[in-house]
Amino acid sequence: MSRSIQYTSSPLLASRTPVWRSKFVVAAIALAFVGLCARAAYIQVFNNDFFQQKGEVRFARTLELPANRGRILDRNGLILASSVPAPSIWAIPEDVEMDAQERKTLATLLDIPAADLSKKLADESKTFVWLKRQVDADVAKKIASLNLKGIYQRTDYKRQYPEGEAAAHIVGFTNVEDNGQEGIELLFNKSLVGTPGVRHVIKDGRGRAIESFGETIQPIPGKDLQLSIDTKVQFLAYQKLRDAVISNRAQAGSIVVLDTTTGEVLALANYPSYNPEKRLNLSGAQLRNRALTDTFEPGSVMKPFTIGLAINSGRMSPTTVIDTAPGSVNITGATIRDSHPHGALTVEQVIQVSSNVGTTKIAMQMPASEMWETYSQAGFGQKPQVEFPGVVSGRLRPAKTWRPIEQATASYGYGLSASLFQMVRSYTVFSHGGEIIPATLLKTNEPAVGLPVFSALTAAKVRKMLQMAAGPGGTAPKAQTAGYSVGGKSGTAYKQVGKGYGSEGNRKYRSWFVGMAPIDHPRIVVGVMLDEPSAGKYFGGEVAAPVFSEAVQQTLRVMGVQPDIAIRPQIVADMVQESF
Amino acid sequence: MTRVSVALLLAILASAMYLVAVQYESRRVFTELDKARSEARYLKTDFDRLQVEKRSQATPARVERLAREKLQMRQVSPGITNYLTASGEVAMPAHISTTTTAVQP
Repeated sequence: MSRSIQYTSSPLLASRTPVWRSKFVVAAIALAFVGLCARAAYIQVFNNDFFQQKGEVRFARTLELPANRGRILDRNGLILASSVPAPSIWAIPEDVEMDAQERKTLATLLDIPAADLSKKLADESKTFVWLKRQVDADVAKKIASLNLKGIYQRTDYKRQYPEGEAAAHIVGFTNVEDNGQEGIELLFNKSLVGTPGVRHVIKDGRGRAIESFGETIQPIPGKDLQLSIDTKVQFLAYQKLRDAVISNRAQAGSIVVLDTTTGEVLALANYPSYNPEKRLNLSGAQLRNRALTDTFEPGSVMKPFTIGLAINSGRMSPTTVIDTAPGSVNITGATIRDSHPHGALTVEQVIQVSSNVGTTKIAMQMPASEMWETYSQAGFGQKPQVEFPGVVSGRLRPAKTWRPIEQATASYGYGLSASLFQMVRSYTVFSHGGEIIPATLLKTNEPAVGLPVFSALTAAKVRKMLQMAAGPGGTAPKAQTAGYSVGGKSGTAYKQVGKGYGSEGNRKYRSWFVGMAPIDHPRIVVGVMLDEPSAGKYFGGEVAAPVFSEAVQQTLRVMGVQPDIAIRPQIVADMVQESF
Repeated sequence: MTRVSVALLLAILASAMYLVAVQYESRRVFTELDKARSEARYLKTDFDRLQVEKRSQATPARVERLAREKLQMRQVSPGITNYLTASGEVAMPAHISTTTTAVQP
C-alpha cells in the first residue's frame, strides 16, 4: 500500500499524488465553509440591525399623511375660508425632454410666457426648480395627463375665501405654506393647523406600496372655527360702507355691528379692502383693520357717559335744566364753545343737540376720579378683551393728572382716544341694561354676562336721550330708519394737518356715528366711521348716520326682528349742527 | 419510508407555492387598498373644493348683483314686508301699533 491515491488500475497511468494534497483541498473547502458560516452569523446575528436598515432604505418608504387646515365658518356654518388642493409644479431641468409643441402647451397651461419657462429650465445643473406654485386642480390634472418627463407635482394647499374683500380684514389670510398671516387666520393659527401623520410602507420596483409596517400615526386635521360673523350682515355692512366712502370721497371707513345680547360681533368691515386670494401690490392702507387699530378722540360719543354718570349718581335728572347761554363757558382761562348758542337746555336736550357747554357744566360738578372710573369701566383706555393682531387700547390718562380744563374736555370726548370697536362695545352699557358686556368674534349661544356700570334705569334714560339725538331736532336725524326706532350719537373731529388742525377751507375731518336699535330693547349696536370725507359734507350726522341707518335696517331684517314703529313714508330731516 | 418522505416533500412544495401565491395576492390587494385610499383622500379634498366653489357662487355679493342686474329686483324694506307672528296672524307693517314712536323734542 503506497501512500498515494490510485486513480486507475493501470500502473502506467498511476500518478503519484501525495495524500496530503487531497487532505489540503478538503481542509481548504472546509475552511471556506467556516468562513461563510462566520459571515452568515455576522450578518444574521451580530450585525443584523445594520443590514436590516440598509435593506429597508432600499424598499421601505415613510409617507407623510397631510393634515388639512381647519375651515373658518360664519355663524350659520357658511364657509369663510377653506383649504383646497392646489398642486405645485416642479421640474428637474436635466431630465426634462419636451419638444417645442409640448413646451408651448405647458407654458399655456401654467399661464406663464414660454420664454420664462425656457429660462427656468435652462440651468441643467439645478436639480429642483419650481415652475409654478399652487395651480388649480384642473390645470394640474391636464399637466399630469401630458406625461412629461422631468415634470413633477407636489400637493400643496391653497386657501380660498369665498367672501373675498367683504370679510378680508376679519378673516385675514395665510401664506404659501398655509400659515396664518393676518386676522383670525393668524390669531387662531395654532388650532387651525392640524398635525400631519406618518405611515411606513414597503414599495416594490414599480413604486407601488405593497405592505405597511411599523406604527401608523393618523393625521389630526385642524379644527374648524365658527365665527360670530354673519356673512349677510357682513356683506351688507361692507357694501353700505363702501358706497358711503366712495360717494363722500373719503379716505377710508369702518363699520362694526355688535349683537348686544351675546356680545357677538356680527360684522366688522373696513374700506378700502383687498381680495385675500390675490394679494399682489397690497398697500398698507388696504391691509389696515382700522376699526381695531386706528384710535381717535371719541368726541361727542363720550357725552352720554358723562351725563349717565350724573344721572346714575343722582346728581341730575333728565329734566334738570342747565343754562348753556351764551354758548360758551370759561374753564380756568380756556373757553369751551358750542357751534350754536342754545340757551337753557334740559339734560336730555344737552345730549340731543350735543352741547359741549352743557356737558362741561355737568361734568364740572363731579369729581374727576368718578369720571375716570366710569370711562375705564366702559372700556376706554383699557386693553380690549377681544384678541386680534394689531388691536389697540387707546388712551385715557389717570384722573390725578387731569387739570380742570382736561376734565372739561374729557367730558365731551377730547384728550382721550379709542378705536371704533371700543366705542361700539362701550355703548353696550346703554343697550344691555347698564352693563358692559365682553365682545367676542367666536359664535356663542350664551347671553353675555356684563359688568354693571350704570343702573338699568339710567341706561333706559340715556337711551331715550340717544333716541332724541337721532330724532327730529337732534344732531343725526338721518340715522333713523324705516320700521325700527334708533338712538345714537354722532361725532365729528378735525384731523391734524401738519402741526395744527388746518385752516378754514383746508381742514380734514373724521366723522362717525355710534348707535343702537330697536331703542327700547336694543338688539344691535352699530358704529360707523368715515375718514376724511371730502365731498362737501363732513358732519357725523350727515355722512356716517345714513350708513348706520341702512346697516341697522338690513341687519335687523336678516336677524328677523319685527319692526317696532310704523313705517313712515319720509324721514324727517331738520337737524341741528353739532358742536366739535 | 421513502413513500412518506416523497409525500411530505410534495406537501412542503405545495405549501411553499401556496405561501408564495398568498403573499403575492396580499401585496396585490394591499396595493389596491392603497389606491382606493388615495382615491378616497382625493375625493374628500375634491368635495371640499367643490363646496368652496359652490359657496363662492352663492355669496351675498354675487346674489345681490345678479338679482339687481338680471332679475331687476330691489332690496326689501319693512314697508313692503308682511310679518308673520307665531299665532299665524299676518301683521302688516303699516298697522303695527306704535307704542314707541320717536320722541319729539
